Amino acid sequence: MTAVAENPVHDTSQIPAPEGSLTITVKIQRFNPELDDEPHWESYDVPALPTDRVLNLLMNIKNYVDGTLSFRRSCAHGICGSDAMQINGINRLACKVLVKDLLAKKGKQTTITVAPIKGLPTMKDLYVDMEPFFEAYRAVKPYLIAYGNEPTRERTQSAADRERFDDTTKCILCACCTSSCPVYWADGSYFGPAAIVNAHRFIFDSRDEGAEERLDILNDAEGVWRCRTTFNCTDACPRGIQVTKAIQEVKRALLFKRI
Amino acid sequence: MTEVERHSYDVVVIGAGGAGLRAVIEARQRGLSVAVVCKSLFGKAHTVMAEGGCAASMGNANSNDNWQVHFRDTMRGGKFLNNWRMAELHAREAPDRVWELESYGALFDRTKDGRISQRNFGGHTYPRLAHVGDRTGLELIRTMQQKIVSLQQEDYKQYGDYEARVKVFAECTITELLKDGGRIAGAFGYWRESGRFVLFETPAVVVATGGIGKSFKVTSNSWEYTGDGHALALRAGASLINMEFVQFHPTGMVWPPSVKGILVTEGVRGDGGVLKNSQGERFMFRYIPDVFKGQYADSEDEADRWYDDADNNRRTPDLLPRDEVARAINAEVKEGRGSPHGGVFLDIASRLPTEEIKRRLPSMYHQFKELADVDITKEPMEVGPTCHYVMGGIEVDPDTASSSVPGLFAAGECSGGMHGSNRLGGNSLSDLLVFGRRAGLGAASYVESLAERPVVADADITAAAKLAVAPFDPPADGVDAENPYTLHTELQQSMNDLVGIIRKADEIAKALDKLGEIRKRIRGVTVEGHRQYNPGWHLALDLRNMLVVSECVAQAALRRTESRGGHTRDDHPQMDSQWRNTLLVCTSPGGDPLAPDVAVDAKPQDPMRQDLLELFELSELEKYYTEDELADHPERTA
Repeated sequence: MTAVAENPVHDTSQIPAPEGSLTITVKIQRFNPELDDEPHWESYDVPALPTDRVLNLLMNIKNYVDGTLSFRRSCAHGICGSDAMQINGINRLACKVLVKDLLAKKGKQTTITVAPIKGLPTMKDLYVDMEPFFEAYRAVKPYLIAYGNEPTRERTQSAADRERFDDTTKCILCACCTSSCPVYWADGSYFGPAAIVNAHRFIFDSRDEGAEERLDILNDAEGVWRCRTTFNCTDACPRGIQVTKAIQEVKRALLFKRI
Repeated sequence: MTEVERHSYDVVVIGAGGAGLRAVIEARQRGLSVAVVCKSLFGKAHTVMAEGGCAASMGNANSNDNWQVHFRDTMRGGKFLNNWRMAELHAREAPDRVWELESYGALFDRTKDGRISQRNFGGHTYPRLAHVGDRTGLELIRTMQQKIVSLQQEDYKQYGDYEARVKVFAECTITELLKDGGRIAGAFGYWRESGRFVLFETPAVVVATGGIGKSFKVTSNSWEYTGDGHALALRAGASLINMEFVQFHPTGMVWPPSVKGILVTEGVRGDGGVLKNSQGERFMFRYIPDVFKGQYADSEDEADRWYDDADNNRRTPDLLPRDEVARAINAEVKEGRGSPHGGVFLDIASRLPTEEIKRRLPSMYHQFKELADVDITKEPMEVGPTCHYVMGGIEVDPDTASSSVPGLFAAGECSGGMHGSNRLGGNSLSDLLVFGRRAGLGAASYVESLAERPVVADADITAAAKLAVAPFDPPADGVDAENPYTLHTELQQSMNDLVGIIRKADEIAKALDKLGEIRKRIRGVTVEGHRQYNPGWHLALDLRNMLVVSECVAQAALRRTESRGGHTRDDHPQMDSQWRNTLLVCTSPGGDPLAPDVAVDAKPQDPMRQDLLELFELSELEKYYTEDELADHPERTA
């Protein structure tokens, strides 16, 4: 889907400009399914402090310029994983990207482009349909499978066993990884990195007894073997999870039938 | 007739945070059909932001711990205003709820022998908080989300339909509870994406919508926290209690402005971090209040020894309950000993090795590095109070979580009583689990007991729809058009400045005048565009809830002429035993549904059961109770 360039002039004078702020251009991909056949770009010249986050700029545009600008956000500091979007072409959480890291070289006007994450249907503006993403997540049985009697207190787990899968428990299901994956763009039936990360979280949990079931699912045609090791997912993860490594570990578990 | 999508369920849970999800699991386990409705995506609830841990007296870190000690700590933290039965149930049941969560698959940090590790926190006598680094809330939500996925897959095997018994309605907002002859009959709302209306026909609603922080300018709360459940329940005829008690977490970020208010976990202090003023002084030693004298270290040496030898030393006053620490920081800043950006310093850098800080507090390390360009392993953080939690909420029966309206239940932050005038850190996640489960059970038992189902009247649906679309109509003659965002900003500013951490009668009165003005102007709120995903319209609807909830907070705050927990009156600085047993109860006698009237009445709380009272030394009770209340105490009559 190519966005058609279009630049209506927006009155941004209502946005408060604190001392030390500079004017930058935020170019947003807009799409309203009630009116538009295709998405288009709109630009907003807004005041920004270097310490502002892209989310602050979007909030200001929504609050002072256009109340219909649509995007998800919640906790606003990188824990809930609601505000994944493409910022200057890279998948990021808007609440974790600072303006100072996007400033143009001295004397040049800074433009920040913001578009929805790719590979998931755009519903409106920056707002995408997350259902296909969650469907893949649910398909890998992302829950503890244990047989035998329920314990009355906790199961014990050694520090080393707990550490084994610590990295993949950090996932916040923001979809930055899955929607940066070229295989996922080309073919939405691939589970995508996030689902595999969440399978990994249980496959390598010493308390879990469902590794075999999950490995069978991931051995499927749409499973781990579709991964082409491009590392986009690892680069995109706002939590710093070694996503590609986790996928490799699952591949290895399948090859050698051991975890 | 309004076009509306209809669904029918045994139980509808509003809110998919910790309390809501635990209620869903319980009601589903009892064999009922359950819908869970939430404003955000499933799994993104505010609970994910809880960092430090979940308090439960499992005794893994110190075997002296038990439910009685936890109960005593909770009552002290709330300055004895807590609903003692809720505090008792909470302390007794929290360990089972944590173990149960572990059996669902939750990840926890472990002790050397592989049991759940527990950390120190403010107001807790022993290390008591089960935790996963500093992302405990995230793990709690994820675990229950996973549990619900597993239940849905079980249902698929049995019924051929994943959603046969539990269905998630994400990004859907409830605007109205509907009744049939005084009982709950349904809930009306809209899909945020399409703007289409949706009706849930149900005899039982569990409200688990969280807090009200978005009524304040500086807050650690996310956008969802607009007091929806408080307002829905109030308008449906339920009562709210303790609304004057709002917790300001002592340590929020203060710089840069874009992140002001974001939480800095109490775990920093639990793991050794200390508060300092601009002169480098560890000032908390000067702020130990009389009621806690003797329970906290009075020298730095003793405080530092306590981390390694808790049995022979008293804890550091950096870990006093949150209300005390927040007031102390406020006073230091006011007296000119603050940090450059109007907070104080929180120092972990000089207290723990770099690697240990990164291991124990990874999220804090990244948060400061990425958002404030501060390396917390090398320099101190700047922190100050931020609106964090409301102790007040829907008045419920402790055992069943039922409100005074038949069929309406509440759990978690939107319910009131459990935490009294101030909540201890870590008692929120345990509250969610204990009372989320009880609300699920309470709702299930209620539904099973019904002889016939209540019916939603068509006229009520039409009225609810009309009220919801009002912001699209041009304002009536003589009423100015208003931008919902402008009104929201003004409301936040006046609540923050006038009904914030330190309050005075004349300032609260000013806030009430301002709220009165907003009450008039809210009728002019108009929004552009259509109902399809329209954030401006959503805010216009949320604003009504924030307004009525703010009125409850301000009116109750004006009425309570003492200082206690999360309510500090500069003009009445002392805690007054005459007030200890008094609950301020907010109800709505009716009025315009856009901005309903609020009435506040005082009522006494039931006296504490004797066996619980005897868990405390008489000398401690004397600090809180009146002479008359203690006249029959066994130590007095003996």
